[in-house]
Amino acid sequence: MNQQVPTETTFGSISPAEFFYRNRQLAGFGNPSQAVYSAVRELIENSLDSCEDAQRLPSIDVRMTSEDSDIIRICVSDNGTGIAEEYVPRAFATVLYGSKFHNRQRRGTFGLGVTMAVLYGQITTDSPVIVHTQYKGSQGKEYALFIDVETNQPIVKSSRPLDREYDGTSVTLQLRGDLKRAEERIIEYVRLSTVSTPHAQILLEVDGTESLKSGRWWNIHPPPVISSNPHPRAADLEMLRRLAQNNGEKRLQDFLVASFQKVGIKTSSRFLKFVSFDPARKVSSLTRDDFGRLSTALRKFDGFENPDSKSLSPIGKEAFLAGIKSTFNTVSVYYSSRGPSEWQGNPFIVEGVIAIGDAFPRSDIPILYRFANRVPLLYDSSEDVLTKTMKRLNWKRYNVDSSAPASLFIHICSTRVPYKAAGKQSIDTIPEVETEVLSLMRDLGRHFGKTTRKSEKALREGKKMREYARAFRHLAKFGADLAGTDEVPSTSRLVKQLFEVYPDE
Amino acid sequence: MNDSNRASIKLTDLGKQIVESILADRFPVLEIPDRNTSNIVYNAKQNRFVLGDSTNIRDSSNINHIRSFTQLTWVASFAKQLLAASRTSSLRDLYYSSEAFDVVFKDQAESDRIVTDLECVTGLPRESFGIFPDEHSSIYGELVMRYTVPGYDGREIDLTISPDGLPIGPALMTAEPIRTDAEIVLAVESGGMFSRLIETKAWQRFKAVLIQLGGQPPRATRSLIRTLNERLDLPVYLFTDGDPWGMHIARVIMSGSANSAHIENLTTPGAVWIGVTPKDIVSYSLPTEKMNNADLKRLDELSRDVRYSDHEWQKHIEEFRKLREKAEQQAFSRYGMDFVVDTYLSDKII
Repeated sequence: MNQQVPTETTFGSISPAEFFYRNRQLAGFGNPSQAVYSAVRELIENSLDSCEDAQRLPSIDVRMTSEDSDIIRICVSDNGTGIAEEYVPRAFATVLYGSKFHNRQRRGTFGLGVTMAVLYGQITTDSPVIVHTQYKGSQGKEYALFIDVETNQPIVKSSRPLDREYDGTSVTLQLRGDLKRAEERIIEYVRLSTVSTPHAQILLEVDGTESLKSGRWWNIHPPPVISSNPHPRAADLEMLRRLAQNNGEKRLQDFLVASFQKVGIKTSSRFLKFVSFDPARKVSSLTRDDFGRLSTALRKFDGFENPDSKSLSPIGKEAFLAGIKSTFNTVSVYYSSRGPSEWQGNPFIVEGVIAIGDAFPRSDIPILYRFANRVPLLYDSSEDVLTKTMKRLNWKRYNVDSSAPASLFIHICSTRVPYKAAGKQSIDTIPEVETEVLSLMRDLGRHFGKTTRKSEKALREGKKMREYARAFRHLAKFGADLAGTDEVPSTSRLVKQLFEVYPDE
Repeated sequence: MNDSNRASIKLTDLGKQIVESILADRFPVLEIPDRNTSNIVYNAKQNRFVLGDSTNIRDSSNINHIRSFTQLTWVASFAKQLLAASRTSSLRDLYYSSEAFDVVFKDQAESDRIVTDLECVTGLPRESFGIFPDEHSSIYGELVMRYTVPGYDGREIDLTISPDGLPIGPALMTAEPIRTDAEIVLAVESGGMFSRLIETKAWQRFKAVLIQLGGQPPRATRSLIRTLNERLDLPVYLFTDGDPWGMHIARVIMSGSANSAHIENLTTPGAVWIGVTPKDIVSYSLPTEKMNNADLKRLDELSRDVRYSDHEWQKHIEEFRKLREKAEQQAFSRYGMDFVVDTYLSDKII
C-alpha cells in the first residue's frame, strides 16, 4: 500500500485530506450505510491496537445513537494506552498521520481510517470530533477537533481537563449515515472481531439498549509484537528515499545495516559488490537514478535471509478455536497454519479453521469468514484471493456438501496485507499468498474429509447398535410374554458384548 | 380345544427357549426348515410333498437376523393372545396390529412370510393359532355341515342356502360334514364359471358340490376339499384356465405348495385335473391368446419342479410349449352359454 500513498509531489495542488474526501469510496465511505460501518470499524480497530500496545485485555464500549433520523452519534471507548497530549490533535485531524508506519502487524495501516471518519463526520454534520483521553495516569483531557481540509492541519476548537476513570481513549463523532442498514453488519463485525481477537470484550449499545456483548473467550494476551526494520526486499523507491532523508550523513553501508533487517556487515558488503556501489559513499550524494538502481537490486539480490516473523501476531490454535467455539455452535473444529512465508519482503502467516456445525448454512462449498491482521473482512468478498482460492478447490472431494454444513475461517497476518484498496475489504491476488492459502485450504479440506468419513461411520455404527439394541429388547420382551413370565431378561450385557467386538471384525 | 392347547404349549416353549437363552448369556438361535422349492421332497407314505432336511439358522446375534427374529417372536406372542382369548385374526389384521407393538413390517408380504416361519418353527398351521387369510373361496351344493366354532357349535347349515354360495372361512373349514346328496366335488378357478354352474343348475345335473377357488386357493379351501374327499368319499374334479398358472392351481391342491409343505392335511392326492388341458384347446378349437414371456418362463420352472416329474405332467408342459397358446375357462362361451355344461363338462366328468 505504501507505494500508492499520495505524496505532495504526486498531488501537489490538493492536500491528502481533500484528496481522500473526494475519493471517499477508496477508504470505505462511499455510501451512508458503509460510512457508519467504516467509522465504527476504524474506531474499534484503533482501540484494539491501542490495547495491544498497552498489553491489556481490551474492553471496548461502542455506543451509537441516532440523534436525528440520519445523524448518528458514535462513541467508542477503550482501556488502551491513551494518547499523549502533544499527539492528540495531529493523530485525529491530520490525514496520513499516525503511529502505524512501523514494520509490524497492526490492524490499521497508516492512520487513514479514523481521520477519514472524522473528516466524513465534519463534512456531513459540521461537528467536531470529541476525543477524551488519559495517558499514563496523568490528568484526563477532552478535545474538540476539526480538520482544515485544505491545509491538512488540525484545528483545536476547545480543550479542557476532564477526569477519566482509567487510561484509555473515548472518541465521539457525529456523521450523517444510515444506521438501520449498517447495524446488522456492525453486529457481525463485532462478533467476528471477538473471533479473531478472542481476548477482547466488546459491548455494543444502540440507542441506549445493549445490542450485543461479545468476547473475552480467551484470557491470555498474545505476546507483544516486535517492531523491526523493513526487509530489504520490501524496499521500494519511495521507502528508500524516505529512509535516506534522515540518514544523509551516513555511509551507504552503515545506512543499509541500520535501516534493514537481515542486513549485517557481511551481507551488505556482498550486496554492494553485487550492485557495484562504494560502501563508503555518503547517502546524501545518491542521485534519483542511484536510488532506482539500489531499489531494484535490493529486490533482486538473493543473498538476504527470509524476513523476520517476530513482528507477526497470528491468533494461534487455542485462541482461534476458543473464539470460534464460543461464537458459533460447532460440532467439530480443526486448525492448521502455513508459514511464515513472504511476499516482496513482507512476512506473512496464514492460519485457518474448518468447522462443522448445524448453525452454518447448508451449501456445496464451505461458508468463508475472512480475517486480515485480526480484522474481519465483510465486504467485497468475490474479489478476494481467499474467496477465489476457495472456489478453485473441489470441495466435494473433501466430503463437503450440503449434508455436512461447514465453514472456513481464514486469517492472514502480515506486516503488510496486500489489500486491494484503502477500504481494506479484500485481499489482492499475490502469487505467494495464493500458494500458501491453497495449501492451507487443502490441508483443512483433507482433514475435514477424514473426520466426516469417520463421524459418518461412527454415526452409522451407532445407529445400527441402537436399532439392534431396541430390536433385541423387544425380542426379550415378546419372549417373556410368550413364556408367560413377567420378568423380562436384561439384554444390555449381550448387546454390549456384541458391539465391543463388532468394530474389530 | 385340544388342538388349541397343543398350539399354546408350543408357543410357550418357544418363549421359554428364548428367555432361558438370554438369561444364560447366550444369543437365542432358531432353526427353521428351508422352504425353498429345492428342499421339497416327495413323501410316499403321506402321498404328498414335504420339506426336506435343509434348514436355516436364525441367529439373534446376527444384525441381519435380529429384525426378523424379533418379528417372529412378536407374531408368536400375538398368536398366543389370540388363543387365550379364543379369537381369530386375518393376516391383514395381524399386519396392522404390529404397529401398536412398535414392530415394523415393510409390507404384508413380509408379515405373511413371518407367519409361515412360525408355522415351520412350531410345525403347526397358522389356522391352529387363529390366523386366517383374507381372501375367501366359496362353496355351494347339496351338503349339510355342522359348525364347531364357539357360538355356532352344533348348528347345521345347508350349503344351498344362498344362490351366491357361501364363503369358506375359519368356521366352515372346521365344520363337520353331516350328509350330502352330491356325488362329486367340482372346483372351478373363476367366479364367473362358479356362478354359471349355479345358475344353470349344473350342480344338480352332475350331483356336484361346487367350489370356487379364486386363483390359488387359501388353505382353508384346500383343507375343506380334502375333508370332503376323505370323509364323504367324494371324488374331486378340478377345472381351471388352460395355462401354466391354472395347471399349477390344480397341482397344488393335489400335492401341496412349497409354502405349506410343512403342513399336513391340506392335500388331495386323488383329485383330477379335467382341464382346460393343452389338448382341449386344440380339440375344442378354443379361442386363444399367445403365451407371454412370463407364461413360458413359468413352464420352464414347472418342468424342473419335482411335483411335475410324472410323465403325464411333463407331457402337459411339453404340449403347452409346443402350442404357445393359452385359453381361459370362459373361452367355451364362444359356442354358446350352455356348451361348457352340455358338452365339455359332460365329456370330462365320468
